[in-house]
Amino acid sequence: MATHNDVVTHYRMVPEDFVKHLVSTLVIVAVVVLAASLLFGVPEKTPLTIKTYATQHPVAFEQMALRALDGQGQIANYGPPYNHGTGSIQTPLQSLQGVLHPINAATDFIIHPLTMAASLNPRVRPALTSWTHASAAQRAHWALAYTKALSTGTYKNGVVVTPGGSYGPLPVMLSTTLQLGKSGLMSGALMRSGVVYERFNTQNYLLFLQGAPLQKDPATQTLAGNHWGIIHPAIAGYPGAWWMTIPTWIYQWPFVVNSKAPDALALAIGFLFWLALAFIPWIPGLNRLPRYLGVHKLIWKNFYHNHPPGAPPHTGETKGEKGESLDAS
Amino acid sequence: MANWTLTTKKLVADVMSADTWLPSEMPEYAQGFMYMLGSLTASSFVVVCISGALLAMNGPDSWVYNSALRFVDATHFWSAQAFFFFMMLHLWRVFFTGAWRGGRGRTWLLGAIAFLIAIPTAFTGFLINGDLYSEWNAVQAKDGLNALGLGWVNLTNSGQMFAMHVVILPLTLSAVIALHIIRVRLKSVVPPYPEVKSSNSKVEVK
Repeated sequence: MATHNDVVTHYRMVPEDFVKHLVSTLVIVAVVVLAASLLFGVPEKTPLTIKTYATQHPVAFEQMALRALDGQGQIANYGPPYNHGTGSIQTPLQSLQGVLHPINAATDFIIHPLTMAASLNPRVRPALTSWTHASAAQRAHWALAYTKALSTGTYKNGVVVTPGGSYGPLPVMLSTTLQLGKSGLMSGALMRSGVVYERFNTQNYLLFLQGAPLQKDPATQTLAGNHWGIIHPAIAGYPGAWWMTIPTWIYQWPFVVNSKAPDALALAIGFLFWLALAFIPWIPGLNRLPRYLGVHKLIWKNFYHNHPPGAPPHTGETKGEKGESLDAS
Repeated sequence: MANWTLTTKKLVADVMSADTWLPSEMPEYAQGFMYMLGSLTASSFVVVCISGALLAMNGPDSWVYNSALRFVDATHFWSAQAFFFFMMLHLWRVFFTGAWRGGRGRTWLLGAIAFLIAIPTAFTGFLINGDLYSEWNAVQAKDGLNALGLGWVNLTNSGQMFAMHVVILPLTLSAVIALHIIRVRLKSVVPPYPEVKSSNSKVEVK
């Protein structure tokens, strides 16, 4: 059994029906997939809608809307690619890309929908005018006071009730926003471009919900990254994206999860793992590892049984490999 | 490369040859279930593409209100699971058999690239399903791409994700898989390691 480039070069060719082989694998997959589909269907968890959140959590909804309006929300102060904020910048690369999908949370999430609502509710226009003409200091004063008031707010008879105070136009603006949310009209207001009629771009809808509504939803808790959530399905018992196990594992590393740039770090380290996998053939030591692990002896058990070391080649054996012209790798 | 035309002509002839694609014999060592894993992966990809094409040609969200398409949606999900399952088993088999030997390094690399591209291909599919899982993954994963300066890929834009999932990524993945399979067919599967276990063996290992 001579060697060449660490491969045996003497072996027999045996009859093969390759078409039957391919058809067989296709039939196996088709049968398994059809059976799984019939038995288990497809895992889908009812989405969290703005309407649902506004209806079930009216006080929290107004609190979220206020954070978007006064610039305290995550998206309001996110930074690139949405705006010039600084709150969620993890790397210089993030800053370099600039503002690609401009979002002004106050205008896009609150003022613009309220401007549309003003044509239905006459009380809204003076409130909007009051807000837009107020000084920044006045707005901040109102926002701070109403943030405090909402922390003890309750929901009675379809409205959020707070202790009395100097809140300017905020109670009217936020109660109208809540009405928009509860009615289901908020989604249309958020995804409306004003230029084209399509609703392909769901960005503002999802970013409106991306903070407390989704983060605190009990249904998403098992999906959180620091709970190995990347590989978890939305519905227990179904397979998820289990092929992301290594990046999910990296997310559990203390220095990653406690970093100021956990997402960038986890993805970058995950990519290094992939590079190591992809370039195994050229990494000294690693490219010889399988030989020493010995699993190949099980996979080629019959071959090694039929070709004991030192035995002369059997009659009719082929020497060499197919496609030597492509040998340069 | 002395003559580009002649070299290309030979390569095309090899790639297009019936002997390449319809072999009537195989090496004796390439037998059994372990040597079905690559074909099972490719077969899963075929089922993924067929079910995905059925969904795409009916338009976004059609599987929500059409029970037949909802079943197709299920086959798309399970065939994607099968694709990754068999691909992972195939990956382990080719790793443990050192399948890059004998000038097959680029075949391995193409397989690794296919694995890498398959991840966002599946992920963008999850994003356009329109359920809680889509919402959660879009808003969670956006931070990673934004942080790496890849914010032009807007995970919260369903239209962009639909294009990525239905056109850009599957075409790219198909091309890489095709190159991978072409090299496998041209080079055949890697032969075994020379056996050196026996103490009286005179086998020379390079």
